Amino acid sequence: MDMMAFDLHILLSIVGVALVGGIVGLDRTAVGQIMVSQPIVAGPITGWMLGDVTTGLVIGAVLELIWLLDIPVGTFVPADSTIGTVSATAIAVLGSRGSAPPDRIGFSILLTTGMVPLTMVVDTLVRKWNARLAETAVATSGEDAGRKLAQAHLSGLLIFFLKSFILYIVLLPVGLGAVLLFNRLPEKFHSAMALFVKLLPLLGAAVVARKLSVRTLDRFLLAGFLTAAVFTLLFHLPALVVVAMVISAGFLGARFSER
Amino acid sequence: MRVFWGLDSVNGEDKEIGISDLSRVFWRSFLIQTSWSFDRMQSLGFAYAIQPVLKKLYPDRAEYESRLRFHMEYFNTQPYLASFILGAVARLEQERASSEDRDVDVSGIKTALMAPLGALGDSFFWGSLKPLSAVVATALLLAGAWWAPFVFLVVYNIVHIGLRAAALVAGYKSAGDVVALKARYNFTSIAKLFKAISLFVLGGILGSLPTWRAEFRLAVPLSGAVTAGIGFSLTLMLVAVLRRGGSPVKLMLGLAALCLALAYGGVIE
Repeated sequence: MDMMAFDLHILLSIVGVALVGGIVGLDRTAVGQIMVSQPIVAGPITGWMLGDVTTGLVIGAVLELIWLLDIPVGTFVPADSTIGTVSATAIAVLGSRGSAPPDRIGFSILLTTGMVPLTMVVDTLVRKWNARLAETAVATSGEDAGRKLAQAHLSGLLIFFLKSFILYIVLLPVGLGAVLLFNRLPEKFHSAMALFVKLLPLLGAAVVARKLSVRTLDRFLLAGFLTAAVFTLLFHLPALVVVAMVISAGFLGARFSER
Repeated sequence: MRVFWGLDSVNGEDKEIGISDLSRVFWRSFLIQTSWSFDRMQSLGFAYAIQPVLKKLYPDRAEYESRLRFHMEYFNTQPYLASFILGAVARLEQERASSEDRDVDVSGIKTALMAPLGALGDSFFWGSLKPLSAVVATALLLAGAWWAPFVFLVVYNIVHIGLRAAALVAGYKSAGDVVALKARYNFTSIAKLFKAISLFVLGGILGSLPTWRAEFRLAVPLSGAVTAGIGFSLTLMLVAVLRRGGSPVKLMLGLAALCLALAYGGVIE
């Protein structure tokens, strides 16, 4: 991608990603929480939209584990993993003009991770601003209290959507500009970013293991590792069969341990 | 007396809550956090969700609007299990609307239930069901299954939407008896089981590292067993660092710095 790369196709793609990302992002708080906003779903949706599902799957898998247990408890506003995933996928694909290579995927993930604090600040501001909606509804007296309540409450949809939409419109061009600079860096930088992507699932696994168990070496984690290693390396079973056997063994092991 | 899926509607011409009313509440409960704010959290969402029931129970406009405004008080709980409280409040509002003295304590049940159900829902849905669905889907994805995101959505939402609907009905039928809900669904025990399976599958992901999909496969001149062993050891080291206060963002930056060091050190091409 050269310096003249912000053509109509890219600009329309940015607007398209901002629209779809804004809608998908509603699932985080405003509507349903049916999990379409989770990285493992939002990544492939973005990739599919831009013609590169694989990049979306790769980024989604990595970020799903890393942000999995960053959860909204009480007033805590977690990192916006949806904006991170959608932006990383869009920047990697649009910055590659086709199938994104591993180094650009790694760089995009690193870049959007740096954007996480900004998304949290904006999310916090929106939630503070939403207090006005409640004030409007409560202050309404007399007729049409129901209609005013619905209007005030549902306008939250627009506010949450606009928050994501505007962030995408701002962040994606910045990210694509950064990719142009990245392309000029020495080859060693590219090799490092390609390795970075391959190591990220290990970090994701560590983050999840840390949150699910109080032990560094949990017995279930070790048992699962040994089971999969035996099926994979000793019996050379196909990968999907190994996953099915590990899930079954995990269920049986957990039930047995309960007794 | 009309009976809907085990729900007895109340006798009386205009004071009946049926399955269609609860269905409206159910669908509206998906929007309970639409106007979430730090000050009142889900207050408007709760009032919006219970609105169809109030409209049915209070034909007098002034009383309906008064009850609607009453439900705009502070409210916050886990969004899925809010449906249990919505069911309970629907039942209590029905009793209130049918009685003469109108002295039913509706606010008390909301205040009493939102904190315990918040804690229960957070630990069950966010802390165990979501990790299980995500870890299983990630294992499938790393094994090469492009359809893994669908598995994630189906596994998660069968339980989530099923329990959301069941909690609404249970809340209505029991008038907010949370002990009965816990007795019927042993959330704590199921959460423990889900966490154990998640850790097992997570270990399985690391054990099958040499056969991960091509995008993640390390091109190293080592045997599969050694590669898996190194991957597992590195993961445990990262867990240890996280236990000492490291954050995922800092570790990502550290990992990127390590990769740069390896590249400039000539370890990788």
